[in-house]
Amino acid sequence: MAQEIKSITLVAPAFKGINTEDSPLAQDPSFAESADNAIIDKRGRIAARKGLSVLTTDKTELGTGNLRAIKEFRDNLGNTKIFSVGNNKILSGTTVLADETPGSYTITSDNWKIVNFNDNVYFFQRGYEPLVYNNTGGAVVKLSTVAGAAGVVAAMYGNEVLAAYGRLWTADFTTDKSTVYWSDLLIGHDWTGGTSGSINLSKVWPDGFDEIVALAAHNNLLIIFGKHSIVVYEGADSPATMRLVDTIAGVGCVDRDTVQYTGTDVLFLSQTGLRSFGRTVQEKSMPMSSLSGTITTDIIRLIRETGEIFRSVYHPEESFYLITFTNQAITFCFDVRGTLENGAYRVTRWPGTGFTCYGRKDNGDLLIGSRFGIGQYTGYKDNSLPYRFKYFSPELTFGDASKLKFLKRLRPTLVGGSGADAIFTWSYDFGTLFSSAEVGIRSQGRSDFNLSEYPVYSELSGYGISSTGDVDIGEVVVVNKFLGDFTSAPTIGSGGGALLEGDSYFDTAADIFYVYISSAFVDLDTLVPASVGEFSDGELVSRNAINANGSGSTITIGLEADINGHELSIQDINVLALIGKTL
Amino acid sequence: MDLKEILESIGGAGNAVNTAAALGLGTAGLALAEKGYSDLGDIGERAYAGLAGEGGLAEQLSGMLEFQPYTVTSATGGQFGMTQDPTTGQMTYQMATSPEEQALQQQTLANAGMFFNQAAMPVDQREQDIFQRMRTAMSPEEERQRLEMEQRMAAQGRLGVRTAQFGGTPEQLALAKAQEEARNTAMLNAMQFAGQEQQRQAQLGTGMLSAGYVPQAQLLSALQPGMTAAERQRQSLSEQAGAYGQTYASGLQGLLSSALGQANIAGGVGGNITRAALGGLFG
Repeated sequence: MAQEIKSITLVAPAFKGINTEDSPLAQDPSFAESADNAIIDKRGRIAARKGLSVLTTDKTELGTGNLRAIKEFRDNLGNTKIFSVGNNKILSGTTVLADETPGSYTITSDNWKIVNFNDNVYFFQRGYEPLVYNNTGGAVVKLSTVAGAAGVVAAMYGNEVLAAYGRLWTADFTTDKSTVYWSDLLIGHDWTGGTSGSINLSKVWPDGFDEIVALAAHNNLLIIFGKHSIVVYEGADSPATMRLVDTIAGVGCVDRDTVQYTGTDVLFLSQTGLRSFGRTVQEKSMPMSSLSGTITTDIIRLIRETGEIFRSVYHPEESFYLITFTNQAITFCFDVRGTLENGAYRVTRWPGTGFTCYGRKDNGDLLIGSRFGIGQYTGYKDNSLPYRFKYFSPELTFGDASKLKFLKRLRPTLVGGSGADAIFTWSYDFGTLFSSAEVGIRSQGRSDFNLSEYPVYSELSGYGISSTGDVDIGEVVVVNKFLGDFTSAPTIGSGGGALLEGDSYFDTAADIFYVYISSAFVDLDTLVPASVGEFSDGELVSRNAINANGSGSTITIGLEADINGHELSIQDINVLALIGKTL
Repeated sequence: MDLKEILESIGGAGNAVNTAAALGLGTAGLALAEKGYSDLGDIGERAYAGLAGEGGLAEQLSGMLEFQPYTVTSATGGQFGMTQDPTTGQMTYQMATSPEEQALQQQTLANAGMFFNQAAMPVDQREQDIFQRMRTAMSPEEERQRLEMEQRMAAQGRLGVRTAQFGGTPEQLALAKAQEEARNTAMLNAMQFAGQEQQRQAQLGTGMLSAGYVPQAQLLSALQPGMTAAERQRQSLSEQAGAYGQTYASGLQGLLSSALGQANIAGGVGGNITRAALGGLFG
């Protein structure tokens, strides 16, 4: 007897990111087994990350080294200057990296932390006399050479520095891991006069002993991260009277460069994964849940790597937090727009990027350091080269793991990826031997002004929604928020959220294109074009079908594509499978 | 000049008898006159002897007005007395308090000496001793305050705070200042107290010294009534002696007046005879 072909649509697959913690069989298809060089885009889809557009054209001073830190200096007069460190030098500039290392100052390590403070930029690294730059002097100089400098001695050559509450704070010294020093008010070079001071935490650690790793300022609190605990002081704007308000045992910070501010919270990497300070304070102590709960094992394994160099950045414009294990060339991208049911951020992985440091400019540009110098997170190439976007689903059971499935056809809806060759792969029953089929995505045409036209509907334009299509045949190809093909009206919108005005879908049963207007799906043909607009090419959507083969009780579907100048995201994957006998 | 010498002046040396004889009855009269003259001399001698001679009025009055030693015994047993050296007549006065009073006096004087000694001692050591005692009294409370501060600082995680402005925390500085001020105050109080104590010891010494002389003073005070009684006795004796002297002198005056009358009579008779006898001689 002929068996029914079952159509299953994986809407916005992997929009929950990677999950390597739960059993593959029990997983929601919204998770991904692998999502490399991917992000969760603003529509809630898994998409290729942006690339590295290298700005540096002359990296002679950097040589073959990697940049290890980037910081944009800014002062009240609006002067700016990009500083970076690498190849045991202090560098400046973006296109040409200039050596700013002070004379007779020997550097053998590039683990600097750079902060802006009161029209100066300060460089701190353990065991090195701090350096300072301001626009008036125009050169990076040793802190002790600044007029009025006091107390600049080896005891305060800290590895961590924080500019907060009108002072510089430093900690993590060569032989002293329990003391925090703070400078005089608004004077970053005075460490013994005025209202400067120090606090020794050796009698404060909740576990009896710890070592300071990082400092942070948040919500009028001074947060002192140890390796295994956190102590929190309030009233740090007057450090002589600041007092302990909280201690958290069992949760510490791995490295100072994992701490990032999100405006409403502080993110940091603990020994058990990514944590937020706010939630840690709420939950106290042991990591009941972490922001990296879907990749806990993976991230712990990476953290345990000896001598790992961590770099991170929070980028509100892209809504992600990046944490890079530079020695292992792994970056995890945490989408901070929202959390999953278990409280974790949606996470994707960027392997082998070569990114070694980050810096966010005041204008929102994300600068990325690498062996190529300074680049910017933009475009869809890595230093003019393509990079591989990869998605693999968890094991799909189609609701019944006991029945045999014959994969007949895959019909993915891909957005973007102009000219790319997308390779779809599938395997059965946890196998590592994948079948594959290549899909060539058409090159997106260059639309010239006044040549392509599309209908502008008054009902849509009122919502500021664009539409594309071929006005000659009266067909709308895409309305801005196309949800996919359905046999009946979908009840959830893009990314699993509520339906929004302008969401559209194609009813495969009725062969009607519907658009969501005023809380109801309306046949697009019933709308009257108010005018005919003209456009340059919009989003490219590909819906190529792939004939598949083989059988098994569970199926893994994958997609790999080289990103070479064009964005690519997976809107959905329609799977046609024949359900067979029970095994 | 006797009569003979007178006659010899008249008649020349060695011619008194002849002169007298020549004068006839002049000799008898002259003898009589001489007798009256001699009697007057005797009367003078008798007056001198009666008033100033041995056993005379002066001697009697001297004995009568001679100082009479006396003694005074106070109610508490103190005694005042006097002795006169029989040879030199020098008076020696003795004043003795009772044994109890002497013991008290010795004790109080000893105490006075002790207080004076203490008052005379340098005060720096005393100041230090007082300061230490004050510190001993203050130290437990200061220790409690320090422990409370330490506890509070520990609870606030601020035990390890060091600041350029305060050294430690402001609270620690405030406590240290308060304790140091209390320490300074204690030191100043100790100095003041030691000075006051020195003054008090001096006053006590003075008081003791005064008290030590109270028995003596009281004894001297007790002398006054005795002296008054003795003075009255002396006045009485003086009055008696005065009365005796006046009476004695009056009697002697009467005797002398009588003898003087007799002598005047004899002298007058003799003079008349002589004038009669010598009248022809020179007439």
